[in-house]
Order: sequence, then structure tokens, then C-alpha cells
Amino acid sequence: MADGAVFVVDRVVTRPGCARKFVDTYLAEYAPGARDRGMTLRDVLVSPPIWFDDQPNTVTITWSVPSPQAWWEMTWKGRPDSTLGPWWDTIGELVQERTRSVAAAADDVDRLCDV
Amino acid sequence: MYSVIRLLDVVEGDRARVLAVARASAAATAARHQLVEPTLPGVRNGGDILVHLRFDTEGQWRSVETDFAAMLTDPAITRVNGACYSGETSRGAQAGTVYRALLLRVLPGTEAHVVDRFEDELRLMPRYVNTITAWQLSRVEEAVGTSEWTHVFEQEFTDVDGLMGPYLMHPIHWAVIDRWFDPECPDVIVRDRVCHSFCRCDTTVLS
Repeated sequence: MADGAVFVVDRVVTRPGCARKFVDTYLAEYAPGARDRGMTLRDVLVSPPIWFDDQPNTVTITWSVPSPQAWWEMTWKGRPDSTLGPWWDTIGELVQERTRSVAAAADDVDRLCDV
Repeated sequence: MYSVIRLLDVVEGDRARVLAVARASAAATAARHQLVEPTLPGVRNGGDILVHLRFDTEGQWRSVETDFAAMLTDPAITRVNGACYSGETSRGAQAGTVYRALLLRVLPGTEAHVVDRFEDELRLMPRYVNTITAWQLSRVEEAVGTSEWTHVFEQEFTDVDGLMGPYLMHPIHWAVIDRWFDPECPDVIVRDRVCHSFCRCDTTVLS
């Protein structure tokens, strides 16, 4: 079975002046449920590291799960939760654009693909 | 080729009887390929009996459709999901023992170039998942059931482990494809519940 940590990366460009509120809201409202689904919060990075009041910031939030199996288990817990997708809509006023990507350490790529 | 798939939810005590009736009805269609099997543990919204018919032409199906549809009115059949569609199969040298079908609905209004990209990425999967022995991605021409299905993605797998292991665990699935189905991802275009159904196949289904 393929093994290696899987990283879920939310990259959010906030609306001007909204970065601090976005981070606070994310940590207060989103993070507890993500932890309940088995995710571990690794980093919340703010770029540039200034709480702008008139410009966007880019916030990069990285979660990890221990394996692809754990990624699926996290997904299977979250997918039936009809509030998860709409939660992102509720904070739309703070978000200019965002992506979610899934990644792994370079050293793990060959092993993860050897299934 | 013209294909017809039906996923039947059947009252538990009547499944053996309905299976026999469905097999007889399938045989009566004279379809080039016929598969009527109980679904295997692990299906999601995939029914209790999977029926798959392949005809040389749509006309052949239309000539037997009414008789076949009569079978589906059996009161023990509580729900039917399905689709009719055209398409050609890609296959390797190895034979499969498990047939799987995914019925999905892309959100109405999704831009054509996004749908094209989604389809291109689905077509990438067999390149990376070597337990897929044959596959076909088709746009639905006629949908039946709980959703207006837009696509059917079918595969034959070496075995059940090939479906539950490599297919799920390869990064092409969880790091590339799944974002189209993930309501948390901005790229999501499949929000309705999908039908993920599979069953044993003793002979080639996709050819």
C-alpha cells in the first residue's frame, strides 16, 4: 500500500484589508471541523506578513493527513456534510480568489504512485 | 456501439427472482454484450443489480426497449438509475473480472471548455492505474433515475482489489480528479450524488 503524508493546501487571496478577519474566521469556524475529520494543521502563512488595510494578502494554509487512506477517510467524513461547501460561500466577502490543492513531499512521490 | 445501463434497487427478499427475470429480459434483447449481475459490497448509490447491454446500433435497442422496460415495472424494483449512450472502448491485453460504472451529473451551465478539461483528466486515469484493463468515457444521451446524468465512466478492473486499492490510492485520483467532485474545491462541477456501481464480470463487457 502506498504511504506518505498527504498535504491539503488552501491558498486564499483575501480582499483588501480582510486577511486578519479571514484567518480568525478560518481558525474559529473551519479548523475545528477539519481536525475532527483527521486533519492536522501545519501552517498558516500570510504574505506579505503585514495586515494590509487596503491591499490583498495571500494566506496559505497547509493541512496534513498521514496517508492517502487517511485522506479518503477525511473526505468520506466531510463529503456528506452539506454545510462544508456552503461555508466557503459564507466567507466570500473576505475572499478574492482561492485554490485548494493536494500535495506530497518530493521524496514520497514515487512511493505514492507505486500502488 | 450503443450502451444501456440500469442500476436496480430491489427489495431484499426478491433479488434472486428479479435477477433471473432481468437476465431473461436481457437475453431477449439479443444485445451483443449482456451483463446482469448482483452488485458487490462497496457500491455507493449503485443499486442491487447491475444491468449493462451493448448493441451495435441505437436502433437495435429501440426495437426492444419497450419489452425490456416492462421488466423494470416489477413492484420489487424500488428505484432505477441508468443511462443510454454511445461510445467506443479502449482496452489493453489483460482481461478484467470486475466491471464498474460511475454515473455523474455535471452542473448545468458548466462552461464547455471546463467540461472538456474534466473529461481529459478522467481519460488520464487508465494511464496511471494499471489495474484498469478497459474503459470508456461517454456523454449520456438519455438519463434515467434520480439525476440527469451527463456522463458514464466505465472500467473493467483486474479484480476488486484493483478497484479498491490502486484506483483509489493513486494520486491521480485523490490529488487530481477528486477536486471536480469536492464541494470545498472551487473547481467542483459535480455536486449531485453519483452512482458508483460494480459487479463481477466473467466475460468482456467493454469491447
